[in-house]
Amino acid sequence: MSASLDRPPQGSPALRLHRQLAAIWATGTGLQRLAAVNHSVIGLRFMATAFVFFGIGGVLGMLTRVQLATPKADFMAPETYNQVFTMHGSMMLFLFAIPLLEGIAVYLTPKILGARDFAFPRLTAYGYWCYLFGGTILSTALLAGVAPDGGWFMYTPLSSNVYTPGINADVWLLGVTFVEISALTLAVEIVVSILKMRAPGMSLDRMPIFGWYILITALMMVAAFPPLILGSILLEVERAFHLPFFDPTRGGDPLLWQHLFWLFGHPDVYIIFLPMAGALSTIIPVMAGHPLVGYRAIVVAIIALAFVSFGIWVHHMFTVGIPHLALAFFSASSAIVAVPTAVQIFAWLATLAHGRPRWNVPMHYVFGFFFIFAMGGLTGVMLAMVPFDWQAHNSYFVVAHMHYVVAGALAFPMLAALYYWLPLLTGRMAMYQLSVPAFWLVFVGFNLTFFMMHLTGLRGMPRRIYTYSGEEGWNWLNLLSSVGGFIMTIGFALVVIDLLTQLRYGRRVRRDPWNAETLEWAMPIPPAPYNFASIPNVGSGPDRNAPKGLAPSLARGEGYLGFVRNGWQETLGVHMTSGAAEQLIVLPRPTYLPLCTALATAVAVLAMLFQFYLLALAAALVVAGLFVLAAQSAGLSQDYGPMPVGNGVSVPPHTEVAGSPPWWALIFALVADGTLFACLVFGTLYLWISAPNWPPEQTFAPDLRLALAAFAALVVAAVAARGALRSLAADGMTHGWIGLAGLGLVAAIAAVVGLIGGIVPRPTEHALGATTAALLAFVASHAGIGLLFLLSNLLRLGAGMVSSRRSLDLRLTRLWLDYAVMTGVVALGLVLALPALVGILRT
Amino acid sequence: MTVGTRPVPPGHLLWLAAGFAAWCSAVVVLYAIHAIGCAFAWSAGPLRLCIALVLFAHLAVIGWLWRRLGRADPSPDFGQTGSFLRTAVVLATIAAFATTIFTFSATLLLTVCV
Repeated sequence: MSASLDRPPQGSPALRLHRQLAAIWATGTGLQRLAAVNHSVIGLRFMATAFVFFGIGGVLGMLTRVQLATPKADFMAPETYNQVFTMHGSMMLFLFAIPLLEGIAVYLTPKILGARDFAFPRLTAYGYWCYLFGGTILSTALLAGVAPDGGWFMYTPLSSNVYTPGINADVWLLGVTFVEISALTLAVEIVVSILKMRAPGMSLDRMPIFGWYILITALMMVAAFPPLILGSILLEVERAFHLPFFDPTRGGDPLLWQHLFWLFGHPDVYIIFLPMAGALSTIIPVMAGHPLVGYRAIVVAIIALAFVSFGIWVHHMFTVGIPHLALAFFSASSAIVAVPTAVQIFAWLATLAHGRPRWNVPMHYVFGFFFIFAMGGLTGVMLAMVPFDWQAHNSYFVVAHMHYVVAGALAFPMLAALYYWLPLLTGRMAMYQLSVPAFWLVFVGFNLTFFMMHLTGLRGMPRRIYTYSGEEGWNWLNLLSSVGGFIMTIGFALVVIDLLTQLRYGRRVRRDPWNAETLEWAMPIPPAPYNFASIPNVGSGPDRNAPKGLAPSLARGEGYLGFVRNGWQETLGVHMTSGAAEQLIVLPRPTYLPLCTALATAVAVLAMLFQFYLLALAAALVVAGLFVLAAQSAGLSQDYGPMPVGNGVSVPPHTEVAGSPPWWALIFALVADGTLFACLVFGTLYLWISAPNWPPEQTFAPDLRLALAAFAALVVAAVAARGALRSLAADGMTHGWIGLAGLGLVAAIAAVVGLIGGIVPRPTEHALGATTAALLAFVASHAGIGLLFLLSNLLRLGAGMVSSRRSLDLRLTRLWLDYAVMTGVVALGLVLALPALVGILRT
Repeated sequence: MTVGTRPVPPGHLLWLAAGFAAWCSAVVVLYAIHAIGCAFAWSAGPLRLCIALVLFAHLAVIGWLWRRLGRADPSPDFGQTGSFLRTAVVLATIAAFATTIFTFSATLLLTVCV
């Protein structure tokens, strides 16, 4: 059935259209701000919060420099120093760098790609609140004197409860995991939004290079964060419930933590760098007045960089005793990663060489980036060479290198981007008189601070020492480094003053002050909550959209969706490769649900932290319930069929197409979940092959009947989900099939719990039992989530939100249960095979 | 999309990752076989042979991808987007081939379990 629609207003004047759209898209005032889901609002909040944590992290960094400025300093006690440097690193990486790039991506990407918002605004808001609460937990712990103190990579066994009793390490594990959940949800959303929500006509070959960078970065996040999340969960379980994943006395291995951490940690360097490189690839052509040279080569280079960055995690572990042959190929991989990076650098240089570069404030920071990143890249290649790494490992040389590649390669493009896009936010330009001195102070201060660290490192200064005797020859280098730190801080303070001054006294500018060619400049300044009064049609190459000419016609509603309908927040979904309009996406309005769900998540995390496990379980159930509740209001309650979207085009709503954003979001969520599962399998096999104290004294023969019952029950559930879908298409008894699927999942959970109960050695006695329990818990938890899918299906069927044309809910359930069967087969198979594998060790 | 062309199926995007996915597979399999061989004290000859076989198998797969994707003319039906993606896929596959040779050649020369 297709419902009749309000007739779209034709030929509305720009102002009237603006008022109509603003009434629909605007975030409320007062407390209603807490219900905001708009990407511009959330993106700005992400960036502002990230800068607050940058400030705190910066102060902590300065405290370390005060402590190290002179020998034998007693400015801080060693215990305090441990907390300060740990929190400096953790804040800068987890609470500043990653969230900042997420904020930039959330704020800018829809604008640059010609969309009105991201695909899942409520998820964006949930991600922000999780980030804020996770960061607040970490910051509060610092004030309370119980902050993490084991270094920002939290190595075991130092971070185990034997050597770090108390809650310091738990704060890190739970707080960072909380923030990582936020990052992962946003990554999935960014991937789906870029692939499915661009301006019509924006095929992949016409997509602005910034879109490619953010897409690849988000895909990297989808695969990179699960290892850290798994590692944090396993370590927290070890600390809280004594399952010995990392305890070598009971068959665990501390090196497993290093593997899991660096499987995240190394790609993370590029996750931080690539969005900034995307900003540079956008800014440099504009400032050079020449299109980006080597667009296609850059796309290939960032794909190569993304993959290779995952294959070099072991270069952080060159000194742990890995055989030379393996070291050789990780060393070679670490060196070759410089090649795709160099492709980008030379493309930028070629763009500058072909154009007539303007020397303005953003370009100062671009110059700073080139200098800093070349230095960091070269020391990176040095550290990729095993013999050099063995000498420099754990010294201040590594600290210097890391700050050049992570801090410098983030800070300088970040400031270039800030000055470049600030007119978009404020409608004003920076004041040259303040901006340039600020740049030079930051540049000189940065190099003075961190270049000296190369030298102290080469002179043997280990990282993380809280003081030194003064006889090592490090005195003047450390003093200069600390002086440089203060100069850099003064520079950043001047940047802040410059920005605040600009807000009031900066020169007002008209639209597109840089003569850029990307779509974010084809909207009102500052941007309206709906971004574009009508969505443009892209007919030319990447980064060549002539926003100045385009903007007036878009404001008049001459693009797509230049009208309002039913009070809906509408944007367009497109074909993934061609960019042809294929669906009308109706987005949810502001709601307090993301805030409430994040609060419940925070309660679960805090309850875990203070060991109120029943409360944690109850809060986790509330979170699950709120997600089910959120699903109830998603989509449309009737069939509409194709609807006009302007320019003579009609497309169906996203609820009635096969490839809607939620479908793709679940696929990418499963990719993330599959990565986590693969890491769990890797961990199990790693302990089997490498950990000390294997084999255990006793091994168990899992109950084959229970394992087969669990498998059969999962298969029944998956088959029943298919039956439900077929039944929906035939208007049959869908509820019966859903009930059968539910019974199957309950039976699977019962069988798996039975298996866990029979594990020998007990999960707390040996890593064999612990990993077996973890594999089985994975199966049970996924069956449990399947029950939530089924519950949501029943509720939405009852509410009339599902029909034979709007079958997305049941298709999502089918996909999830298929995945649960596949991972269940592997997990149960491995559990059954473990006794035989252990038997090999005995022979 | 140019008028008269049809869209490149989204599944074709996976070819962009195919070459480097094979490289990742080589990293994981070589590292695993090497670890298992050394843990169970395989003699050097068979272990080296296994490593070489795995390496050449991956090179063969990436080489086959390069040959297959490089020879196929882009379908004119897919327009400029198809042409762009095909070139990017071929370049990415060549890069993956070169990366595989560069990163793993040493496995054929170095002592296996020191």
